[in-house]
Amino acid sequence: MQTIVACATPLSTAGAIGIIRLSGDDAIDIAQRVFILDNPTKTITVPRHMYLGTVCTKYFKDRAFFVFFKSPKSFTGEDIVEIQFHGGISTAKGILRALVEAGARPAVAGEFTKRAFLNGKLTLNEAEGIADIINAQSSAAAMQAYRMLSGEFSKEINSCSEVLLQALATLDCELDYPEEMSDVEHADVEKTLRDAEIRLNALASGSQNRKLLTDGITVALIGLPNVGKSSLLNAIVKDDRAIVSSIPGTTRDVLREHLEIDGFSVTFIDTAGIHESQDNIEKMGVDRAKKAMLDSDIILFIIDLSQKERTEEQKIMAEISDKKHIIVGNKGDIAKYQRRSDIVIEAKNCSNIDKLIELIKERLDLDSTQTGSVFMRERHEFAIKNALMSTQSALAACAVTTADCISVDVRSAYLSLAEITGDTASEAVIDKIFASFCVGK
Amino acid sequence: MDKYFDAIVVGAGHAGVEAAHALAVCGKKTLLLSLSLDSVSFMACNPNVGGSAKGHLVKEVDALGGLMGEIADRASLQIRMLNLSNGPAVHSLRAQVDKSYYHRLMKSRLESTVNLTLKQADVSSLIIGENGIAGVCTAMGDSYYSSTVILATGVYLNSKIITGNYQKNSGPNGFSRSELLTANLVDLGLPIRRFKTGTPPRVLGRSVDFSKMTVQSGDIDSYKFSSLTEAPVRNDHACYLTYTNSTTHEIIIANLDKAPLYNGSISGIGPRYCPSIEDKVVRFADKDRHQIFIEPEGADTNEMYVQGLSTSLPFDIQEQIVSSIQGLEHAVITRYGYAIEYDCLDPLALYPTLQVKSIAGLFSAGQINGSSGYEEAASQGLIAGINASKYLDNKPGFVLRRDEAYIGVMIDDLVTNGTNEPYRMMTSRAEYRLHLRQDNADLRLTELGREAGTVDNARYQRLERKREELVKLASLAAQNYEPNRFVSLCQDIGESLPKSGISLKELLQRPNVQIKDAIKYFDELKVFRPDTLQYFQNEIKYEGYLLKQEKTIEESKRMLEHLLPSDIDYLKISGLRLEARQKLNMVKPLTLQQASRISGVTPADITVLILNIKKKLK
Repeated sequence: MQTIVACATPLSTAGAIGIIRLSGDDAIDIAQRVFILDNPTKTITVPRHMYLGTVCTKYFKDRAFFVFFKSPKSFTGEDIVEIQFHGGISTAKGILRALVEAGARPAVAGEFTKRAFLNGKLTLNEAEGIADIINAQSSAAAMQAYRMLSGEFSKEINSCSEVLLQALATLDCELDYPEEMSDVEHADVEKTLRDAEIRLNALASGSQNRKLLTDGITVALIGLPNVGKSSLLNAIVKDDRAIVSSIPGTTRDVLREHLEIDGFSVTFIDTAGIHESQDNIEKMGVDRAKKAMLDSDIILFIIDLSQKERTEEQKIMAEISDKKHIIVGNKGDIAKYQRRSDIVIEAKNCSNIDKLIELIKERLDLDSTQTGSVFMRERHEFAIKNALMSTQSALAACAVTTADCISVDVRSAYLSLAEITGDTASEAVIDKIFASFCVGK
Repeated sequence: MDKYFDAIVVGAGHAGVEAAHALAVCGKKTLLLSLSLDSVSFMACNPNVGGSAKGHLVKEVDALGGLMGEIADRASLQIRMLNLSNGPAVHSLRAQVDKSYYHRLMKSRLESTVNLTLKQADVSSLIIGENGIAGVCTAMGDSYYSSTVILATGVYLNSKIITGNYQKNSGPNGFSRSELLTANLVDLGLPIRRFKTGTPPRVLGRSVDFSKMTVQSGDIDSYKFSSLTEAPVRNDHACYLTYTNSTTHEIIIANLDKAPLYNGSISGIGPRYCPSIEDKVVRFADKDRHQIFIEPEGADTNEMYVQGLSTSLPFDIQEQIVSSIQGLEHAVITRYGYAIEYDCLDPLALYPTLQVKSIAGLFSAGQINGSSGYEEAASQGLIAGINASKYLDNKPGFVLRRDEAYIGVMIDDLVTNGTNEPYRMMTSRAEYRLHLRQDNADLRLTELGREAGTVDNARYQRLERKREELVKLASLAAQNYEPNRFVSLCQDIGESLPKSGISLKELLQRPNVQIKDAIKYFDELKVFRPDTLQYFQNEIKYEGYLLKQEKTIEESKRMLEHLLPSDIDYLKISGLRLEARQKLNMVKPLTLQQASRISGVTPADITVLILNIKKKLK
């Protein structure tokens, strides 16, 4: 069976140990392309033995354990490798990506379980535990991941898939209607496939989806000086123990905190207080704050309920009115003025912070059950690469073989993209044939 | 008259005859009932058998012991291999056949089949007993009893033909229709739908100016459908190609208001792949001409079929259309084209064995299952016949996999996802198209037919002979030869000479090297039969592509091994999405593989299903 990979531990347990699991014929080979043993003279031979070493990805290295289970004595009944690493979503994603690049396919929801069942390995106890997780994921995971895609990205995937479908329908129509389609130009199919190749290349090289795949979500904290932005950031960080790292901003005035919320990587940006200033350095800080504000996915506009509204605040309100934002009334404990806000908190006392997080999730449309979606993106990338590879072999085949063979690769390219869009190929091709060509007796 | 049989088949069209024959050769005492015994295996539409994907079906029917291939070979007027410019997987054989002779040959074959009784009767209702089906009643008031019944009613249920404003409650070609059976099926709770199809006018051959058309003759190479056919297949008739033109299109557009398809007098759903000429002209307005083929209807009739001109426009408009076409200016129409509407079953009501889910022992096959085409019907008839026999013997059903046969693809498509139009077999529907070739139909299926009881000794011996030849051929082709052995061959076909020793197989892996060229220089190859050599070469040429698909086939097979109990209430499985619950409940899949093929059921749904089934089994 093809080797599949997934994170076996929940993604929100950052800071603890994470386990990534591979299952399939090439599990050991693939894992060893990423995992380097401490003692290079040793080889990995003993099942169910912990080997110490280092996982090497493009971006980082991490000390890790390697253990393998030999078929059929494993959860799925196939060769399984588990890599235990220092947890956290970034590490998990990095290792997972490296393994995918080394040849593994990201698993779909429940795929390990399915294999375990098909190989007769699943016991009732295991089954019951797993059922709930899958139930939660199956319902909306795919939809969620698709929604997570930027409009442009999904538009591009769809038009790519349409181009491939056109090529496939032309080829298949020629095969099914040889007498009526005697004038089909193979050059046309080749041209269509070249078009698909260019589009897929652009998608695979990531010019369009880089942001989507790496940055996650940004939340900007803005407001006048001393309204409690930093206290709020601290409160959020304290409240949510899932801190991955704390990297100081590039200037003394912008601080970034990375958190995980339900598996999504969220960056909070604490900005300099926005106010008119003559000081050059402060001015630069303010400019950066404004830029952060514009680049963010959602803005937390913090106001001080113990102070009257200031004209500068009205100006900010006007600037952010067409962006996604939440007005956060701070210092609720010493509030003196009735001011309009979406939520009232006490940053100093960490009060109502969890409600604020819920509100952010709600406004960003992050469904709390979508633990799997982060890895969904890996799957998208994998699918695009596969589609590209198949398109290229179809193009190579155009020169040397007949439509029946070319069609195999084009179909497989189309099916790869269908994993993202959720289309089913069987009827789509036939619909396309009858929509595009006048055939039939 | 004997009233008690093992099996009764209702309808003696292309599905019914195969079903009845399969049952009879399996040793079951079988009664075959037809509205008219003059319409046994009647070809109501085109006078040919085979063609793209359909040719594969005929080969498969033959490999499983069915009749269609043999009879088509004997009734052939012209035989051609289509699609030769593409790879061997999609080469398809098509025979123009003599309609009347085909009918007579089939009827006499059935009359001489042991265990089989033919009778003219109009079945009006089914008899249901305690354990399911128990027999049939006829409109005359007669009854016949059996513990299995196969419905193969074709387009005869409540059918209506339509030409312009003229409508008549009638079967095709003026044959009488079944008036009463639909109502009974509705009473029994079966889901009935209304489909539509059509046929073109026929013209008198001597009124046609063939000199203005392109002649299409049969192939010089002699081909045949059946492995049992020894005599050369008749191949001396021609077909003729002409085209519609702008005048034709103007006539059609000007008279669209008289077209039943466009003025609302036809309600049935027609097939997209079999569009009427009015459909083609409207939907593809930018095409300035459409192909028209003139084909013989028989050797002893001068009538000819006008392929491509299916229409239900009024008779006078049909005359204008025909005479606007080059070569048909003075053509005399002998029969006008018509559309036909008929009742059929929703195939979702069937198991993959073609047994009706709600009535034990009742099977259905052919156009009643929402398909279209003689070959599709024959294939289903054969499978229903085998399964009815299995049912009588209390044995597990006979279901072909999608990687095993086009027949498997078709039946799986029908019973798993249903169809919204008359279903036609297309090679595009087969995901393992390169595996499912004409040249290996016998290797794929004859052994299975042997186990099912439909393959006789003569056919089986031919399979064994082919297998023996293949073993010998494989060892011959693996032998290493010195390069100088290939000098003349390579010169002949302009290939570069291998630098070191090489086997025939390795040489054949080169795209331009063909076994038919090699045979000239390798006398050792001459002892093998052409179809053995052809198969061997095809396996080599497709090797890379075949390997690519093998893993997916393996995976799908594992899913197939897991049977699903038929008494699951899918609506009650928590964790399944509502759509999946409803679809699963409607289809009631027999295996996990079938469940996974239902559109709207996701891989995650399958996992949830697996977990729940596991619990249930515990």
